[in-house]
Amino acid sequence: MNTPLSATQGRALYWPIQMRRNVGVRSLFAVVLVFLVAYGLLFPGLFTASGFAKFTQSWFPLALVAMAQAILMLTGGISLAIGATVSLGAVIAATTMAGPLGVAGGCVAVALTGLGIGAATGFIVVRLRLPAIVVTLAGSFIIGGAALLILPRPGGAVPAWLSDLLAGNTPAAFVLLVLIVALWKLYLATPLGLSLYAAGENPVGAYRSGVPVDGARIAAYAISGLLSTGAGLFVAAQTGSGDPVIGAAFTLNSIAAAVLGGIGFLGGQGTMRGALAGSLLLSLMISVMFFLGFTPVAQYVAQGLIIIGAVAIPQFRKVQQ
Amino acid sequence: MMKSSFFASASALCLGLVLSLGAGSQANAAANCIKGDRKAPYTIGWANIYSVPTWMKQTQGTIEAEVETLKKQGLVDKLVVTDAQGDANVQIQQIQSMIDSNVDAIILIAGSSTAPARVLADACAKGIAIINFDSLVDTDKVTAKVNTDSSQWGDQAAKFLIDAIGGKGKILILNGPAGVSVSDDRRKGADAELKAHPDVTVLAETNTPYNVAPAQEAVTSLLFANPEIDGILSLGGALSAGAVLALDKQGREQVPITGENARQFLELWKEKGLKSWATMQPNWLGAFAAYTAVQALEGKDVPAFIKIPLPVIDNSNIDEYLARAKDFPADGYIFSPYDEELFKKLLAQK
Repeated sequence: MNTPLSATQGRALYWPIQMRRNVGVRSLFAVVLVFLVAYGLLFPGLFTASGFAKFTQSWFPLALVAMAQAILMLTGGISLAIGATVSLGAVIAATTMAGPLGVAGGCVAVALTGLGIGAATGFIVVRLRLPAIVVTLAGSFIIGGAALLILPRPGGAVPAWLSDLLAGNTPAAFVLLVLIVALWKLYLATPLGLSLYAAGENPVGAYRSGVPVDGARIAAYAISGLLSTGAGLFVAAQTGSGDPVIGAAFTLNSIAAAVLGGIGFLGGQGTMRGALAGSLLLSLMISVMFFLGFTPVAQYVAQGLIIIGAVAIPQFRKVQQ
Repeated sequence: MMKSSFFASASALCLGLVLSLGAGSQANAAANCIKGDRKAPYTIGWANIYSVPTWMKQTQGTIEAEVETLKKQGLVDKLVVTDAQGDANVQIQQIQSMIDSNVDAIILIAGSSTAPARVLADACAKGIAIINFDSLVDTDKVTAKVNTDSSQWGDQAAKFLIDAIGGKGKILILNGPAGVSVSDDRRKGADAELKAHPDVTVLAETNTPYNVAPAQEAVTSLLFANPEIDGILSLGGALSAGAVLALDKQGREQVPITGENARQFLELWKEKGLKSWATMQPNWLGAFAAYTAVQALEGKDVPAFIKIPLPVIDNSNIDEYLARAKDFPADGYIFSPYDEELFKKLLAQK
């Protein structure tokens, strides 16, 4: 098995396979590239350290929730509680970090809350065989209510140095995102990560082949929760405070980013790079249309057209083939 | 006497803000955030949180009209408008884009009372004039904040109603949505008057969106339960319209009611011959914000907090408002007239 020959074969196979996985999202990558170039031309300040930092900071929380949603959709699940979980993460960060727990304690609290909520949701969905859409819709009310209980009105505080570190004039958010993507690649190499696609694409077949289907799906929910509260922590640092309803829009935007990125609703289809590109496009559109001087009404129409375009072009190609 | 206490509290507030500004060791008279390096004509950015409701469209209308006037005076050359579609995160990104494109002034209604604080501090550090009106942000890194007083709204409404029912009787209270600061503050403002009159019994309270249909539904069910109602303390114009319609549909006699400048309510008021009182969050706060931003950029001293006195509509002046009704959308708000003289007076108050 472990002869040098198969190792080189493995390497030779890696890139062609990765290229094949890009097929569905090539047009999206092209659109994102066009927008990036347009943004750079319209706003040359993008290429300064602080310009790049501010831009990646606007994108970062959306990138995290897009990943959080994509993991679930890859296993055939979905979450309508992502926005509420982001809000909860933000209020926990804003209420603990300035207190006796400190920043480290606050980070732990945020991480444990995310993992716990995710694992509990995953357990209910997977073991009790309840529809994810119903469980997470109910969950969104509970989690959103908990956020309002912790912080009934916007308030709290995050230490200024943490805000400046994560959301100051350095590209720390971008570095963090690169790290998280690297961790995702590592996770895909673990047994649970390997089971993720199999559990989503063909759960029965995977189960019969000895794949830990339930474990993979519950782990996906836990990771998704962690990414969501992590996005909340970042939003709290970015804004310097907590707001119990700040995450509301992230639920729909996370689904939009994932779908835009070619992740299928039925599980097992799509790639994380697609979801990230989808979230980048959503974030870029806001800034580019501002610099193009679009009026708000024109922005509504243009956004819709771009999204339909990016999703429909690969479908046209498929039909033609 | 009420007026004098209002002025006393307003001036105390302004004094406090002026003192806190003074601590920032600003020797010259320039307003907060202003560095004096920006020259006319200016570009104004209007960072709207949500453009769809009629109230917002009317507010934007006053801003556009004011900008046209300022353009003729050569003070403004461009108005940039964004719409965050209700998402506070998007509003932050759009304010960042306004900073990146180097606008001279930003006027905003905030989508969150805390979230935009850091991005506004960045804008302030770049010498951009920031005027925050209507929904305010908890920060002093802006040039000025402009608003009416929601608590005073509740207080004045309660005073009128208790007076109208002769200091005793059974009333309903209609509130806006729960957990929203404006709705909370208006209700809290009414508390003192209600406590001072123990003969006034509150039969029930409602929490509905500021829309006619849900308010009408809520009041209709309360009418079934309460055969005797002497007055309705409504803390929103559409809520009042809903209550009047509910009484009308049930064939009940109209009772004294408070309200707001919603056109539908004012028309019902006249049609049914009500005894009523209304105030408003004037849409021209938007125009005033644009005007104030330019004044600050021109080097004028601008108070850090500008409290807009609540205009009052009652049976003595409702005809003046209804005479102008055709100039306003059917589901819109008939705001009090405004001109540059009024703006100058508001800016001069200390």
